[in-house]
Amino acid sequence: MLILHDLTPYHWALAGAGIGLLTLFLLFVLRKRLGISTGFENVCSLVVRAPYFRRPAIAASHGWRLPLLLGLVLGGALSAVLGGGWAPFWDLGLFDTVFGGGPAVKVAWMFVGGLFIGFGTRLAGGCTSGHGIFGMANLEPSGIAATLSFMAAGVITTNVVYRLVGGI
Amino acid sequence: MPLAFLLFGIVFGWVLSRSGAADYDFIQGMFLFTELQLYGIIGVAVAVALPGVMWIKRRGRGLTGAPVSVKPKPRHRGNIVGGALFGVGWSLTGMCPGPILVNIGEGKLYALAALAGVLVGASLFGVLYPRLQKLLGLPDMGIGTGDG
Repeated sequence: MLILHDLTPYHWALAGAGIGLLTLFLLFVLRKRLGISTGFENVCSLVVRAPYFRRPAIAASHGWRLPLLLGLVLGGALSAVLGGGWAPFWDLGLFDTVFGGGPAVKVAWMFVGGLFIGFGTRLAGGCTSGHGIFGMANLEPSGIAATLSFMAAGVITTNVVYRLVGGI
Repeated sequence: MPLAFLLFGIVFGWVLSRSGAADYDFIQGMFLFTELQLYGIIGVAVAVALPGVMWIKRRGRGLTGAPVSVKPKPRHRGNIVGGALFGVGWSLTGMCPGPILVNIGEGKLYALAALAGVLVGASLFGVLYPRLQKLLGLPDMGIGTGDG
């Protein structure tokens, strides 16, 4: 069950095929390689003056990366609206069960996690989509290396947080 | 043209929302090996995309005949070091970059804090790039670590 309205998720084979076909649609019809995390640099470049954000690939991709990011937000909203109605909420599943904590705890926890994601994905040159799906599908050494690294770090971190500290 | 990418984002966001990819418990279950849904999704996505990517590369052109080029992302030490840092963040938040945005759309308020952290972290990376470049042997600034 999903945290969102206790919905039953799609079968993994259907969801995986959907994501694979969307990846191919993006490349074949819209002629872009799948990748989300670079879009965060596009957002940063609007306010942060660092030369790194002034490289040509960033300014040239505002026109497609920014609408794609906005689309992801709208897709999530549509899913909530049609799945039982949209309302803001703080439910965090296993975290609530094992640790509890109010909004302030979750905001601090998520902000720290976000720092790791923002810094880490840009240092790695991609995330689950760009390295894990597209990079692996294109058999790129950088994608395979990054994917093994983030999967291993995720397994270790979650096991430390929930099995070692949380005692589940 | 931006409209096409907006619509693509909506469909992609819907699939992430309804598959468990944007769900805290499914991500923890993946890392705890108690819930294999996400391994199935990623495995099938790669298996479906791989032959198509190979075919499009050989063809060298998209649907309308316009050229399509797929350059592998550069290989550097950041792939491993940055990947590990990202893995820690993915585990803590239960979200990777796409699902952060999807979760904001769904109404999960804590996802806004994750996005704030991401933007600060990415900004910090951009500002520190010249120093990290020497330390980790990253590509020239004009190339970057890999786009996507």
